[in-house]
Amino acid sequence: MPVEIPKEKWPGSVLTVTLGALPSEGGTRKRVVTVGGETTLPFLHFEGEIPNPPVVAIEIKDRKPDDWSPLLLEAWKDVIDDPAQWAAAAEAAGADLIVLALSLTNRNGEPTTPEEAVANVKAVLGATGLPLIVLGPGQAEVDNTLLVAVSEATKGERLALGICEDKNYRTIVATAMANGHLVIARTPMDVNLAKQLNILISDMGLPLNCILMDPTTGALGYGIEYGYSVMERLRLAALQGDKMTQLPMIVTPGFEAWKAKESKVGEGVPKAWGDWLSRAINWETLTALTLIEAGADIVVLRHPESVKRVKAAIEELMAAKTLVS
Amino acid sequence: MTVHRVTFNHRAEPVTVKSGTLITEAAKLAGIDIHQPCGGQGRCGRCIVQVTEGKVRLRSSLRLSAEDLSLGYCLACQAVIEGDISVLIPEQERIERRLVTDRTAVEVEPPPTYAPNQQTLKRYFLTLEPPDYEDQTDDLSRLLTQLRVDLGFEEVEIPITLLKKIGTVLREGNWRVTIFLDVVPCRNGVPHVRMVEIFPEHCEDDSPIWGAAIDIGTTTVTLWLVDLWTGVIHAQVAEYNAQIRRGEDVISRIIYADKDGGLQELQELVVGTINQLVEVACKRVKHYEVKPNDILKVTVAANTTMMHLFLGVPPSYIRLAPFIPTFSQAPILRAQEIGLKINPHAIVDCLPGVASYVGADITAGVLSAGMDDTDKLTLFLDVGTNGEMVLGSKEWLVTCACSAGPAFEGAGVRDGMRATDGAIEEVWINSETYEPDYRVIGGGKPRGICGSGLISLLAEMFMTGVIDKAGNLNANLPTPRIREGEHGMEYVVAWGSETQHGRDIVVTRVDIDNLLRAKAAIYAGFLVLAQSVGVPLEETEQVLIGGSFGKYLNIEKSIQIGLLPDLPWEKFHFLGNTAVKGAYYALLTHESRERIREIAAKMTYIELSADNAFYEAFMSAMFLPHTEILRFPSVMEAIRSLRTPQ
Repeated sequence: MPVEIPKEKWPGSVLTVTLGALPSEGGTRKRVVTVGGETTLPFLHFEGEIPNPPVVAIEIKDRKPDDWSPLLLEAWKDVIDDPAQWAAAAEAAGADLIVLALSLTNRNGEPTTPEEAVANVKAVLGATGLPLIVLGPGQAEVDNTLLVAVSEATKGERLALGICEDKNYRTIVATAMANGHLVIARTPMDVNLAKQLNILISDMGLPLNCILMDPTTGALGYGIEYGYSVMERLRLAALQGDKMTQLPMIVTPGFEAWKAKESKVGEGVPKAWGDWLSRAINWETLTALTLIEAGADIVVLRHPESVKRVKAAIEELMAAKTLVS
Repeated sequence: MTVHRVTFNHRAEPVTVKSGTLITEAAKLAGIDIHQPCGGQGRCGRCIVQVTEGKVRLRSSLRLSAEDLSLGYCLACQAVIEGDISVLIPEQERIERRLVTDRTAVEVEPPPTYAPNQQTLKRYFLTLEPPDYEDQTDDLSRLLTQLRVDLGFEEVEIPITLLKKIGTVLREGNWRVTIFLDVVPCRNGVPHVRMVEIFPEHCEDDSPIWGAAIDIGTTTVTLWLVDLWTGVIHAQVAEYNAQIRRGEDVISRIIYADKDGGLQELQELVVGTINQLVEVACKRVKHYEVKPNDILKVTVAANTTMMHLFLGVPPSYIRLAPFIPTFSQAPILRAQEIGLKINPHAIVDCLPGVASYVGADITAGVLSAGMDDTDKLTLFLDVGTNGEMVLGSKEWLVTCACSAGPAFEGAGVRDGMRATDGAIEEVWINSETYEPDYRVIGGGKPRGICGSGLISLLAEMFMTGVIDKAGNLNANLPTPRIREGEHGMEYVVAWGSETQHGRDIVVTRVDIDNLLRAKAAIYAGFLVLAQSVGVPLEETEQVLIGGSFGKYLNIEKSIQIGLLPDLPWEKFHFLGNTAVKGAYYALLTHESRERIREIAAKMTYIELSADNAFYEAFMSAMFLPHTEILRFPSVMEAIRSLRTPQ
């Protein structure tokens, strides 16, 4: 007897969002990245469409970071003092996108100026043909100052600017609208808060297909179940037709996993934990893959080896498509 | 081009305007300034004028009753001139009076089934056989025998303090006495009889029998002095609960009660407040001379914590999971047992509650609102420090309580205050200049903002874009009123030069968050109740609002901020203090008292702290008006019409 596979017919779908603009579109990118468009839950190819595979972004900094694991500093040691070289190396390591995180201070310990931020962003854009995400240092006022300068200096590039939060989004959204960029909306692991911020941003007039949402997550062993569940519910709501949840999701497993003791600490841990480097990479890879299964469209990673493994896994998950059909 | 002539206030010189001009514009031409606090959007209703001759086309008739319209009243900012007209601009205070008429409290009448002498407290005249050398029966037995022979009461409960005086009373009255008994019918047919008072001689048989209905609120204590014989209320008095100085909300009172001597102090404070009220009420009575000692029965409604404190029962466990009170129904007590300065033997009947956070004030409120006797799906709401709510009809009732915090009572907000003289009670914001206009209770200079003022302010800030849907102040607007204050962004409602104390009256980002939390908690409560029984909230047929705060709630603004569900305004009814009214009903008829018992027994209580659905609903409601905007179609429409030029 043939087995009938039950299929859900979802009334809604995820919006497609394109990052980066080709020269013909007013930008300078050699390629653009489109995410979203799903009409079913992650990788249920038999049920609906997954037109765009999840993509991997590599996070780089505008200078050598102070608080990163020695394992990461080792992995990028040749390029870590130069964001342009770092970006090129990241592209070579297989990144689909670059995330440039601006620092609060420059390498001399002075506050990063808008001019420095713009120079670093331009250098990165010059060194890679990939689309670019630019994140402020994470302090509302500094973020606004730096991102406005970056946004104006890169008009038309379709960068994604972040982070918009419910208490600080107006300035970033306004400058993104004025200069043809996208924004990233981050909320702390709550379906309602995510929807609310999307509403606030779209109330300002930015089209929904210019917003990526970051529902925030935790690393493996540090609340990933909670993040997973929120992402799953957001995606279910999107497929059920709730417009304010239909944005592609970006998450930062690299940041989360490399905060965990298991990745950060190499000494004074139980022997049974095994080799530090492979443990750390496993931690980042498993965190990322779990979130991809929850519906992540963009995962931001830090270690080149994790990138390789996650990309391979995505390829296999997408290949299942041909098996089904 | 068509032009029309417009005459104002019977002036000789009309002004000439193009067809399609608004009355406000025409008035400006005539040199008359019509006050438009909302900036001419037809929202505030302050520019009411009367068209005495000719006709105008109304863009909106919001805020006007059918009667107003038939008299030619219209909003000057919404009235389009399409012919010659004469216009009368009323005096400002007349306008205000028109706007507040919907707020007057309803007249209180005895419950429908009331008939004189229906109450349980009864007066009887007895004539006993005097004792002699032959008949050596003791006084008490003699009295009890007479009660059995005359009235058929087999058992009568007598407090020791009455026993002490019957010997003297019987002899003073020459074996003729007036006796007051509380006779409660019981299901087994044998009534429970308690002796309350005994006087020598037979008194006039239609003189008043005094009783009192009391509602002990966390903030306010209310007392009605009633003649049980006629059912007439002779005095209504209220006073702040003296416990306030030991904590503003129930939780801080419970914590205080746990301290050494705290419980006794709180008990004495609230009893003291009631004793004061009794004195005041007695003095207020016209035509009779009433002394506190004449009061023979009281019924008491209160939230569960207040009831515990009133009786001096430790309320500690109300605060601790799983939130179990010591009692829901207190035994019948005598006034002297708890220090009430009324007749020491007076019956104190504390009404039954349901749970730790749904008390007798709610069961009494449900009764007086008639909710247990209606076919209509009804939502009953009592907003105070806590928001208690009941959904249902005569078939079923579900209830819950959510901690709204004291924001709506003016506490926990920087410039918040109670609704007394000097409180800003309503605010309008001009959507072009962002300048506010406000009304102050008592008409003088403001010194703060009360709950209704805060709701109105929040709604206006939201509708005009001063804050976004998350409550963030928009710093980019061109007004000095939005500024960086000590605790983040704030909006200046009144500059120091306009206020009583010379300081600016502001609403801060923190205040806005507190208000959002308060309104979200209440709306989330509604949703959880509705979901718990699988009824869409929109199907509610009437919303009954009790509590003293309810009297001043503006429906339109409350819907705009998502505090109340988006239902047609006519479905909302303000009932004033429903708790004291329920206590009054229970004082007057045994049937009402029984119904309160049944209400308490049949209400299903939902403890929200154990309910994930509540958290979910709460987060969703922490937005203006709500994350699910489809739940608020009228607000959606209002925003749309505001943001698109007319």
